[in-house]
Order: sequence, then structure tokens, then C-alpha cells
Amino acid sequence: MNSWSGPGYRGGLPESHDPGRKRIVGMSIAVSVALLVIVCQLWYLQVLEGGRFQEASDKNRIRIRPIAAPRGILFDRNGLPLVDNRPAFTLSLIPRELERDLDKRDATLGRLAVLLQIPFQELQDAVAKVSSDSFLPVRIRRGLSIADMQKVEEWKLELPGVIVEVEPQRVYPNSRFAAHLLGYVREANDEQLKQGRYRRGDMVGQTGLERLLDEFLRGKDGGERIEVDAMGRPVRLVQSTEPHPGAQVVTTVNRRVQEVAEKLMEGKTGAVVVMDPRNGDVLAMVSTPAFEIDRFTGTIDRDAWLRVMKDPEFPLLNRTIQSQYPPGSIFKMVLTAAGLQEGTLTPSDSVHCQGEFPFGGRVFRDWKKEGHGTVDLMGAMAQSCDVFFYNAGLKVGAPAMAKYASAFGFGVATGIELGTEKLGLIPAPKSLRKGKPPVWHAGETVNMSIGQGQLLATPMQIARFMSAIANGGVLWKPRLVQRIERPDRGVVWSDAGTVNGHVELNPAVWAFLRRSLWAVVNTSNGTGIAARIPGLDIAGKTGTAQTIANSKSEKGQDHAWFASFAPARDPEVVIVVLVERGGHGGSMAAPIARQIYNAIFFEKVASLDISG
Amino acid sequence: MTVLGGIDRRLLQNVDWPLLGAMGGLVILSATTLASLHIGRAGGNVAFRQLAWFTLGLFALVAVASVDYRRLVRLAPVFFVMGLVGLASVFVLGRTVSGARRWILLGPMSVQPSEVFKLCFVLMATWVLTSRWAQPVGKTTLALTVPVLVVPVALIVKQPDLGTALLLFPVLTALLVGAGIQLVWFLAMKEYQRERILVFLDPFRDPLGSAYNVIQAKIAIGSGQLLGKGVAGATQSRLAFLPERHTDFIFAVFAETWGFVGCLVLLTCYALLLLRGFDIAASSREPVGRLIALGVTALFATQVLVNVGMVTGLLPVVGVPLPLMSYGGTSMLVSLTGLGLLLSVRMRQFQ
Repeated sequence: MNSWSGPGYRGGLPESHDPGRKRIVGMSIAVSVALLVIVCQLWYLQVLEGGRFQEASDKNRIRIRPIAAPRGILFDRNGLPLVDNRPAFTLSLIPRELERDLDKRDATLGRLAVLLQIPFQELQDAVAKVSSDSFLPVRIRRGLSIADMQKVEEWKLELPGVIVEVEPQRVYPNSRFAAHLLGYVREANDEQLKQGRYRRGDMVGQTGLERLLDEFLRGKDGGERIEVDAMGRPVRLVQSTEPHPGAQVVTTVNRRVQEVAEKLMEGKTGAVVVMDPRNGDVLAMVSTPAFEIDRFTGTIDRDAWLRVMKDPEFPLLNRTIQSQYPPGSIFKMVLTAAGLQEGTLTPSDSVHCQGEFPFGGRVFRDWKKEGHGTVDLMGAMAQSCDVFFYNAGLKVGAPAMAKYASAFGFGVATGIELGTEKLGLIPAPKSLRKGKPPVWHAGETVNMSIGQGQLLATPMQIARFMSAIANGGVLWKPRLVQRIERPDRGVVWSDAGTVNGHVELNPAVWAFLRRSLWAVVNTSNGTGIAARIPGLDIAGKTGTAQTIANSKSEKGQDHAWFASFAPARDPEVVIVVLVERGGHGGSMAAPIARQIYNAIFFEKVASLDISG
Repeated sequence: MTVLGGIDRRLLQNVDWPLLGAMGGLVILSATTLASLHIGRAGGNVAFRQLAWFTLGLFALVAVASVDYRRLVRLAPVFFVMGLVGLASVFVLGRTVSGARRWILLGPMSVQPSEVFKLCFVLMATWVLTSRWAQPVGKTTLALTVPVLVVPVALIVKQPDLGTALLLFPVLTALLVGAGIQLVWFLAMKEYQRERILVFLDPFRDPLGSAYNVIQAKIAIGSGQLLGKGVAGATQSRLAFLPERHTDFIFAVFAETWGFVGCLVLLTCYALLLLRGFDIAASSREPVGRLIALGVTALFATQVLVNVGMVTGLLPVVGVPLPLMSYGGTSMLVSLTGLGLLLSVRMRQFQ
């Protein structure tokens, strides 16, 4: 049989003695027959039954209706929602069901434009963007009012191809609530579409946590295939896939504290950061003015957008991390720490302050014209005596100040996950540029001693610094998100907190710093007396950072700072307040901090579990 | 011997032009069908990309044709092991697309190792069947082919890529028959063994409720009627109901657009290609060449019959691409390499 398949066989055989050949011919016949069977089937489908299928194809208008997955919800640390979803009406067009005839189609769009006061051009553009064969709805307006929805339903027969869908939409406790922290959600823009991860009309977090956690929050859209008749009325549900809602995010924020702080900052420009110094948890993060987050989410609200764009105060800026300010007198803590640790300062050093400090042909002034008289280090800190610290700064020196500032996290990113944070700046005490003369003057050291000059820091950096003072030197990375949970899979991500660095100081130095900060708030001539609450030991430092005036009309040129923690002995909360051009830290910022402390420690804040 | 650039003139005289003609015709039909779909979202027009892959594939075809296939068969175990590694790598490097891990990323491209493996399998099966130990053809031969089949099938089914796994059986059967095994051996297979294979490959296990797609595909094909609806009128095809309309279901699109007459042209191209393939196998008087040609032809034939049979509703739905028509870079490259093997055998049939 297998005559050619013997080992070593290499030659050919006459065809008649080649049974393999016959078998191959047999196989080719079998394949040909199979192809003929297919041709018969095609004949049956296309010619015999063709008319029936033609009809089916005409009738076969399957509408694919995506069901948007509800976006995940962000909770505060006590389980209160920071943002929630509610059903909202969305106006959409289905290109395939619009009139084929262009004039008739424009008449429909015109009717719709008049009915709902939508620019006609906008409708035309929306339709022009997609294939006219598409059954996928093109969204025109989200958040349609009930009245508008009823109008569309009423005119339904005159509006072929126009539908109203129900989709979940973001809803916030109030119009500007935690706008910078949460961020707004908007349809994917052209650039995001180009990345290929989103479809047209997908809602995507554009800023803040919504953007950072978008992948977790979005969930997976479901969909329905619905057979509809020629009028676009659903006839039959063919197939449906359930949407999978997005993950739930438990943040570190305390909604009550956030709300209180926002209320107190209303009408002011500035920032508040409330942090737990024991783990870096951000309990509140306020930046004012805030934008109207509810009007930024969904379809764009032109008025709100223009208002924000024209606002000279840049409401989109998250001042807690994206604005940097001279720290002013807050920096005196760094100077004190550096001097005591290096031995260049002692608590018993004293200076007689007459309100001015002539140096290098210039006169540096104290904030208090008449001077503070004779003050020691503790007194100088409490009263924020500039003249004392001018002297101290020259003794300690700019390099040591810069070294300790850097150790305390000045000029270094806090690593907060929102991204886009400013780094702040520590001026270089000596010129690092080769071949160029040193650009550092002793006068700059004097300026630096009271946190002026080129020194810059963000409120978040100050909060981290203040937490390190409160907890004895641990620089925590600010934590915003505790964990992310999926409904079906439990916790999918969690953050146990990250330590950015340690500051090592003699225990006596820590003790001195805390005592002097306590004195700022709790002695009669302390600058932070306005923050004092009987029954709570608050420790803090005021700061009044001078800025260069932009115009005479501005209400005041100084930024008001107050950086603090409480209880002084066993700190649980750090509060940093900054009011831009707010005047004195002691009179403007400290009272705001006091009211936040009051809310946290004395008003029965719904089970404010700070350690939780 | 011949290498690239120095092909013997006598070899060139034996180039199978009808085969290449059928191939060219199919690729043109493929590109026009893909172009009519307007799928371009995932970057670039698919028709253009298909032609780019075709061009690349032509190089592969010429390269393979200019090498003596016997040298390739001698290396078959190496290809086979590499192919297996490729299949296994899917589980480590694989990209999951709609529930199946079939692709791996190689630089900017995604490659489907199970496609590439099809040719490795043909080479390996040929090597085994023409090896010394397989002679004379009988029970031992059958036993030798078992690992060649079972190991890759296990890997492929796990991906899962049922379609590809299913292809290997008829291809091996064709090779065994071509090698001259007594047909009795197939009947001698115990009833439960046959059943086990059938259960293992049960196409109705397909988890993606595919009946809906078949109904829609039948409507598309049927409504094409005798002469087709033309590119502009082929509404059924442009709807989003066929998720694989540029790959596995491309025949439905073609049938709706060009009707029964168009389908006849398309199937004639395939018939020509397959019959030339069988002719090459039959004309080769040398076992290695014969089995290689037979294996490649059987591979093509099975894919065409299974795919078209599935889309027209004659067979259950399994994911098998239509060679040279379906969009897919790996599939195109593998098809042209296979044709290169056929040419290589044809050109050397008188040596």
C-alpha cells in the first residue's frame, strides 16, 4: 500500500502506482462537494428566501441603547457621601432615525431648537460629527428640566430621531462643595477620545479625585438591544446587559469639617487645610473662591464657565497645593528649630526691640512700630518679634535655615495624589552657578529669617510641616483616599499612609517649640490670642506675609496665615488657614481656625471619629 | 540550491500563477469589503492596514518559496517548540480581548500565537509522518501523532480559542489519509474515545450567546439577494450588531453587498486556490512535499468551509477567520506564508 513511504525513499512512482494521489483527488472532490453545499445554501438564502430576508432587514431596526453605569460614590471618613448620583434626563438624537431627507431633517432639528432654546447650529454640528447610519444616540443636553422633557414627549411624533433618556448624574451637597478636591466630571473631550479609552459621550473625571480615580469610579456601562418599529417605538427587548456600577471610594475627608471650613472662608480668597498629624489624613481641603462644581459637571454651562474664566481670582486654582506664598512669620519656627538644634540660639537669648533693625545701610522694620521691648526667644515667638529674629537669623545663618527648611519639607512636593502641586521654593544661600559672582546678600538672610524674600510654600506644605512639629518630626504624605471598594470584589485598593521623611531634633527642642507655640495662642500678648478657646490647648503660629501691591485699590497687601494644632499636649488636628491679602494673621486667619476647632471639639460633630 | 536573490530560473518557470491569481483576487475583495465598513476608530483604516499586512506577507511568501521546503521540515521540531512557547506565552504576556487571551504584544503589534502555530503544526506533523519511526504507516504512526496534537490543543483550548483547536483535527486527519494510513484505523477508534473528543470540542459550549449573530448574519446574506445591495445600500452590515463584522463575519458583509453573484465569484476564487493546492500535493512525488502541500491546503479548506458554513448557518459558531478575507495581521501573514510553502513545493516538484 504505502509504497512511497518507506524509509529512505526519494524517487517518484508512475501515477498509476501512487495510491496517495488517488486519496488526494478524493479529498479535493470532498472539498468541492462541500463548497457546492455552501453554494446551495447561498442560493436558498439569497435567491429563494431573499425577498423574505430583505423584508426582515428593512424591519430590522435594532436600537442599541447604552445604559450608563452609575459612577462610584465618594464617601467621607464617616460614611457620609461627598458626592452622589441622581437620575437625570438626557436629550439625544439617533442619527439613523432622523429623516433621510436633509430638508426634513433640518425642519426636525429646527423644531427642537425652538422648543428647547438650543442653537440650531449646535444640533447640526452634533449630527454632522457621526455617521448618519449610526444607531448610537448622540447626546445633546444632559440634565434636562422636567418641563423640557415633557415638551419633547409631547412633540414626540413631530420629532423623529429625538429621544430622552434617563442617566445618572452627579449631585453635590451644595453648589461649590469641595470643588477642588472632588473635581468635575464632563464628557470625554477630543483629546481623551483620541487615547482610545473612552467613547464619545462617556463621562470622565476631569480634575481632582474624580480624575485621579476615574478608572475605579467609572464602572462598566451596560446596554440594551431593542427592536424598534419605523416610528422609533420599542417593540421588543432583544438583549440586555446590566451595567456594573463604579467602585466606592472612602476618603479621609470629614464632610462636617469641610463644610464648616468652606462656610468660614466664604467671600474670602485663600485656603484651609485640616490634617491629622498622626497619620497625614486630610480632613478638609478648602480653596476659595471655588467654582460651581454642579454647573461644571455634565454638559457645560456656558454662563458658569465664562464667569469662572473671567474671575480675576482664578476659581479653578486649588490654592492648597497650586498656589505658593511667602510663609511669613510661620518660618520663625524653622529658624528657631535650626538655631536651638545647632546651638547657635538658646532660649535665654534676648534682644531689646525698638521696632527697627538697621542693617547693611537699610532699616528692617518690626511689624509693631513701637517695638516689643526686651524679649527672650519664647517671648519673641509669642509676640512674633521681627527684630529678635533678624538678629537670630544672622546668628544661625542662611545655610542652616535652608537645611532645616528642606528637612521640614519646604521646597519639596508633598506627594499628595491630586498631582499638579507647586513645590514652593527655598532660596539658595550661596550661588551654585559656576563662574558667576555670589548673588546672596546678608540682607536676604535677614529677610529670610521672617519668612520673606524668595521663600515660598503651599498651604499643604505648611500643614505637613505643622504636623511634623505636632508629632515630633514625622513628615506624612497627605492622605486623601483610605480605600476603594468594588461592590462585587470588596476592597481593591487601600492606602495605609506613607511617611515622606523624619526630622531629628533634640527632645528639648521639640518641647520648646510646642511650648512657645502654645504661648502664641494662650498668653495675653501672644499674636494668636484670637484663636484661643478656653478648655482646649491650641498651639499655633501666626504669619503676615508681605506681598508686592498690584494696585492701590486692593484691600490689604498682606497674606494672613495661621498654622496650628490642638490639643497642644497630644495633637490630633492640624489646621492651616491662609487668607490672601487678608491682613494680619492674628486677626484674620486665627479666628477662622478657632471656629473650626470649635466645630471639631465642641459642637457635637456627628461622631467625629478623628482616629477612625 | 536556492536562496533569496538567486532563484534558479527553472524554478521560476514552475511558479503556480493561477494560485497567485486566486490569492490576489481574494485580497482585493477583502480590501474593498473592509473599506466599505468605515471602521477606523482604533487607529487607521482597516482596509489600508490589511493591504499593508498583505505587502509584508508577500515578502514572507517570496522568502518561504525560495527556500527548499525540506530544509524547513528538518527544522520542524524547532518551529514546533517555538510555536508551543508562543502559545504558552499568551498566559503570561497575553492581552485579554473579550474574555479570551489570544494575543501577545510584540513591540507595537499584537500577535496571535495560535494563528502562527497552525503552520508549525503542519510542519511538525509532516516531520513526524515522514520520519523513520513512523514507517510503515500504521498503529505506531497514529500513536506518534497523538502528542503532536494533544499538547497544543490543550494549550489553545485554555485560551480559549476553540476554533483553532478544532482546525487541527481535520488537518491531521487529511495528513494521515494522505500518508496512506488504512482508513480502518479511524473506525477502530473506540466509541467512547470518539465521544470524548466530540464532547471535548463541543462547539455548543460557546459562551457568547452567538445565535443572535447568526440570525443577523443570515438576514444580511439573504437580503443581499441575487445582485447585492451595493456598498451604499448594505445597511445591515453597517449596524453594530455584528461585533466581528470585519473579522469572522466578513463573509456576511460581502454577501449583503454583492449578492449571490458576488458570492459565486468569491467561492470560485477559493475553489481555484484549494484545487490548485490539492493539485500541488498530488503532483508532488516526494512524501515531504506532498504532505506539506496537503497540510497547508487542508488548513485553508477547513478554515474556508468552517467559516462560511458558520456564517451561512450550516455549522455552529466557532471563531475561525476566513483566510485572506478577514481582517487580521497575523492571519494574513500566516496565510501568505502557507501559500509560500505551496509554491515552494510546486517549484521543486520535478527535482
